Amino acid sequence: MIFTELRFVLLFAGCWISFFAVPRKMRMAVLAAWGMTFYALFAGWFLAVVLALTLAALYVVPLAAGLAIVGVLVYVKLSPAIVPLGISYLAFELLHVAIERKRGRLRELSLPKMLAFAFFMPARAAGPIKRFAPFVAAVEAAERSAENVYGGLLRVLIGLAKKFVIADLLALTVEESRYVDSMRHAWVIVIAFSFRIFFDFSAYSDIAIGFAQMLGITLPENFNWPYLAANIREFWERWHITLSQWVRDYVFTPCGRLLFRTPLRPYPAVIATISYLITFAIVGAWHGLTPAFVLWGVYHGVLLSAYHVVSIKMPAAITDRAWYHGRPMRFVGMASTFLFVTIGWVPFFLPMTKAMTFWMLMFGVRR
Amino acid sequence: MNRHARRLLLVVLWLVVADVFVPPLLQRAEHARYERGGAFRFENSDLFALGPMVRYLREHPHGDRPRAVFLGNSVVFGYGIDAREALPAQFERFARGRRVFNAAVNGQEMGDSLLAGKAIIDSVDTLFVQVIPHHDAARPILGKLLPVSSEDAQRYGLEQFDPIEARLRSILGRVWRLYASNDRLQAAWFGTSTRQFLYLHKRNWIVRRAAPPPISPHISPVNLVSPRNGTGDPTSISQSMVALADVAAAHRKRVVFLHFQRAGDALDPNVAGAFNARYAPHAELVIVDVPPALYSDRQHLTPDGAASVAAALAAHEGLQ
Repeated sequence: MIFTELRFVLLFAGCWISFFAVPRKMRMAVLAAWGMTFYALFAGWFLAVVLALTLAALYVVPLAAGLAIVGVLVYVKLSPAIVPLGISYLAFELLHVAIERKRGRLRELSLPKMLAFAFFMPARAAGPIKRFAPFVAAVEAAERSAENVYGGLLRVLIGLAKKFVIADLLALTVEESRYVDSMRHAWVIVIAFSFRIFFDFSAYSDIAIGFAQMLGITLPENFNWPYLAANIREFWERWHITLSQWVRDYVFTPCGRLLFRTPLRPYPAVIATISYLITFAIVGAWHGLTPAFVLWGVYHGVLLSAYHVVSIKMPAAITDRAWYHGRPMRFVGMASTFLFVTIGWVPFFLPMTKAMTFWMLMFGVRR
Repeated sequence: MNRHARRLLLVVLWLVVADVFVPPLLQRAEHARYERGGAFRFENSDLFALGPMVRYLREHPHGDRPRAVFLGNSVVFGYGIDAREALPAQFERFARGRRVFNAAVNGQEMGDSLLAGKAIIDSVDTLFVQVIPHHDAARPILGKLLPVSSEDAQRYGLEQFDPIEARLRSILGRVWRLYASNDRLQAAWFGTSTRQFLYLHKRNWIVRRAAPPPISPHISPVNLVSPRNGTGDPTSISQSMVALADVAAAHRKRVVFLHFQRAGDALDPNVAGAFNARYAPHAELVIVDVPPALYSDRQHLTPDGAASVAAALAAHEGLQ
């Protein structure tokens, strides 16, 4: 884990000292310099590629820049030998800049700001996926305080505990999938994975947010008790929030708008379904360009579409009842959402053929 | 100074005070594990505790008792049987007065044994190494766990810490003893990492298990053959074996190589004889012929099989 390497800690300490030592207007340049040093140290020659993509997002025609970013992302996803540090997160951040430039919404772009945004050390390894304008505003408002250092340190420690105490322990149960032999065993493993991936992934976000907080910079939250969601749409509002918001803004909504200009206009449920499927196939592919990840994404697309159709078709005679909005119903929703999400995790930790076998074992089709 | 600054200071002070107690805590835990404890075996047959054990042995070249260390794979580790029933623990029962370490790890190859053997040769009286013919590889992670020469690192393609990271670790370890000793403490307390220990014993959190019954193995005759002369090239069995024999001769220590003779994996006594003629008394290649009834499967020993081999080995070493 990069965050526990002493090189990272030392670099961060240097970054913290110089960030507060220089005048405010120099802070972007300081973040950029330390971020690029960090990236060079941990990703080596790939710094040049990322630098080129960052400059492209800033200066090149947005469409060409976007194609270059997607091209590099697809290339590295298809090349198992190349695993550049945090490229998936970086690609979405740079695409956001290119798209917003095209929309004419980013007016305060400058090289130091762009480099500070792209190479921001705490969020470079595993997100959260930042947005340019809030990030710049957060850096400009950053204040040195013991409260920030204490709060940030505490958040980092909570993240480390979630990762090393809970997630890594649960990972040992997940490893039992190599010799799973019964329906009960399969369910134990997949439930362990549900919690393992939450604690692991949210730990990385906690650590990134904690380090940023020490600098007085607020990063967006990524998780908000996702397993307490009462339906699948709420789940995606609580799980990997920055990714959900990114695909909502740059895939789902444009896709829906585009489809509304087609003969499908009288069929909003069909448009929503197609948009969900496309969006979540991309979410799956973003995690890994393998059939299993895409299947996982499409599975969530199907769940969201089904929920959308059911919720708009539900008769008012039911939705107007008090019990429909009561606590027992919410609990049923939470339990069923958790169940569906958990079943869906199988292709996330197993390759396609093994995932199929695992599902069959879970549902007693195969012994 | 505000509330948060005071809390930060308190945390630092707490770490400084706690660090004072780390060396005596480590000393007590390691002495209990490596010198006094019951049957020594890695809790999970993983490599986590190998590095801490090697560091302890290197820092304490002379133990309370003469030491014997067994290296090998799941056959020596005792796959499927209790730690007390495995070959090294049974050997300790017969070779009274010795402290025996079961440093075998499932899937270990001859390269692994060579690197571990080289690292501890000066702290051990006798090294018992299981021969795994034609399996000379070493696990790359050993480069981060054991002190290895640059030649070995290159030869086996071992992983190494980034030089900057290694330097920083060394500096921090000198001022923060808990940081330097945390893996050694875990290995001494649990015989593996804390998370592996919690995982392995998760059922014990709910149901307290009864103490295991005492073991009383039945000893059967096992034939140990150690040819004195022969012709042949020992490197054809394992280059790592020959390299470790050279190390033993250079350090004037004794290494006993154990080859479990099985159908399809039989060792030519001529080659063993040539090896023994060349390396005696520092290295000896012993062919262990175990009756099929003492195997639980095609290669692993039953508790009685391990006890029988241990008894024969103790007699061979003149320790009974």
